[in-house]
Amino acid sequence: MNFATTMSSAVELSTPLVLAALGGLINFRGGIVNIGLEGEMLAGAFVAVLVSWKTGDPWLATLAAAGAGGLVAVPFTLVITRLRANEIIVGLGLNVLVAGLIGYLLPVVFNVYGALNPENLRSLPHVRIPLVADVPVLGTIVSNKTPLTYIALVSIPLVGWALRRTTWGVRLRAAGENPEAARAAGIRPLLWRDVSSGVAGIFAGAAGAQLSIGIVSLFTVGMTAGRGFIALAAFFFGAARPWPTAAAAFLFGLVDAIQVRLPGSALPPQIVDTLPYIAVIVALTALGIVRTRRGGRAGMV
Amino acid sequence: MDAPTTLASPPESRGLRWAIDAVRVFAPFAAALLVGAIILWATGRNAIETYRLLAHYSLGDWSAITNTLADATPLMLTGLATAFAFRAGVFNVGVEGSLYLGAFAAAWVGFTFVHVTSIPLIAAALALAAVAGALVALIPALLKVLWSVDEVVTTLMFNFVVIGVTSYLVNGPYLSIGTANSMSPLVANQAELPSLSPPSQMTAGILIAAGTALAFWFVYARTTIGYELRTVGANRRFATASGISFGRAILVAMVVSGLIGGLAGGIQILGVNHRFIDHFSPGYGFTGIAVALLGRNTALGCVLAAIFFGALANGGSTVQLFTNIPLELISVLQGTVMIFAVIQLGRARGGRG
Repeated sequence: MNFATTMSSAVELSTPLVLAALGGLINFRGGIVNIGLEGEMLAGAFVAVLVSWKTGDPWLATLAAAGAGGLVAVPFTLVITRLRANEIIVGLGLNVLVAGLIGYLLPVVFNVYGALNPENLRSLPHVRIPLVADVPVLGTIVSNKTPLTYIALVSIPLVGWALRRTTWGVRLRAAGENPEAARAAGIRPLLWRDVSSGVAGIFAGAAGAQLSIGIVSLFTVGMTAGRGFIALAAFFFGAARPWPTAAAAFLFGLVDAIQVRLPGSALPPQIVDTLPYIAVIVALTALGIVRTRRGGRAGMV
Repeated sequence: MDAPTTLASPPESRGLRWAIDAVRVFAPFAAALLVGAIILWATGRNAIETYRLLAHYSLGDWSAITNTLADATPLMLTGLATAFAFRAGVFNVGVEGSLYLGAFAAAWVGFTFVHVTSIPLIAAALALAAVAGALVALIPALLKVLWSVDEVVTTLMFNFVVIGVTSYLVNGPYLSIGTANSMSPLVANQAELPSLSPPSQMTAGILIAAGTALAFWFVYARTTIGYELRTVGANRRFATASGISFGRAILVAMVVSGLIGGLAGGIQILGVNHRFIDHFSPGYGFTGIAVALLGRNTALGCVLAAIFFGALANGGSTVQLFTNIPLELISVLQGTVMIFAVIQLGRARGGRG
């Protein structure tokens, strides 16, 4: 197993996880646990292939995918904030609904089952970074990725900065942490919760584009394969802070990359697949133990 | 997240409460049928005709009804499993995991002890299935009781852990020799649950599901522990103040929920699949959440809601065979029902499920 190519593949595979996890993080800070990331990602993946196929423009397709994720987030968030529906159930329902809708449209509108694989589908270009590309190992790992990888990378500090330093970020966090106090300070908490959901949807939609027109160039209905839940695991494991969250997402992507390249390794692949979920349970338990020892209120949610 | 505080909500007139309940039950149906109709019309299909066919193929004659009840059986049990926890204010979304481990346990008993006679073999398989399901629920329950670890996330994550572990078991140590797919060996013939109305797959499992519903009703309506669970679910502080152990209530609610979830998996294996197949469940546990919500966490409600979803699944697959309307339409209806089943109408009541 080659170190540089494995790491390179880990970067590609973790890009959708980082994007979706950052979205989930923003939503979480805004006060909503987003179980619907999976569905928003699937919608993004589908729309990306659709738009790239019809227009031949993968950039426009990526924008459309982000827009689709944001659009799916609108009913999701409105039902939660305005009709006070339980966010977990709405998220699970949204995933079933989106997968069902796309599964319905494929045969009815496009005459295909389970996958959309148009000829000459244009996928996202891989960007060669001058100078860095020529450095051995580092060049292989960092250069020649889709623009979404670099957007994800830049987003990590940007999200942290925006949440901490901008007025919008402060309002969003206030809406999430203490809606009553926020309202007293003249902030509309429900509106900011909706904004956080919309941003999460946009991130998840872009993550979908990376899956369907970044890593490969086709759409299949099982394409997200639980990545929305792994993204959820990443921001829980990263305690909803951008760098630890992104690090967790990268770790999960790395495990994925090693597994693809190393069949028949020490751990069976089905067990390796469960590691992100076990990691979250362990992390939440550790957090609970620490908080109980300190005598504070336990539980993140 | 706080537990629902229905006890503390202001008194409303009987008529108003009844009307609100009626709207709550029918709003999700109406919303789902409307969303489905819009999608059908937008894609040039006749919505009314489609719904007529769905009703016909799911409830039109005896054979349709038995197939609907066959599809409703696992959902009835996963719905009751979910509702048992929800009613006590415990948010167990891990019934899918209990179902998987229960299913594997039943299959293991069925293909291992092939010389045991029918009744003891079935009883042992289902008992182990229930215990396995309870084990899956026990860990998040203990984490919640000991260190207040929120059960929503842990139970959700445990689903994927259990699905992965069972997938490993039938791809490795228990892979049936000579099959291309990842599945366990077949259970012994005498371990199969008999069909009540051949050739349908409506087995004795439906009777066990009905019995479970009856037991569910009895526990919540007539026993002390049922009263304690209800009180904890309605108002945790009031419950603790009146001397009810919160930890014990959580453990009981989760373990019983897991028992029923495991039983659901065992019955599906002995009744329908006859072997454990990797990723065999089309989300029975998750649909069970919709069943519990639509059934408003009551025994009768779960039975009726499960029959509704069973009818959709059965009718949908037949409609797909005879028309050009894909089965995925049913997922659209199901997802919409889930979303609209949790909206809060009327004044704020502080409920979360």
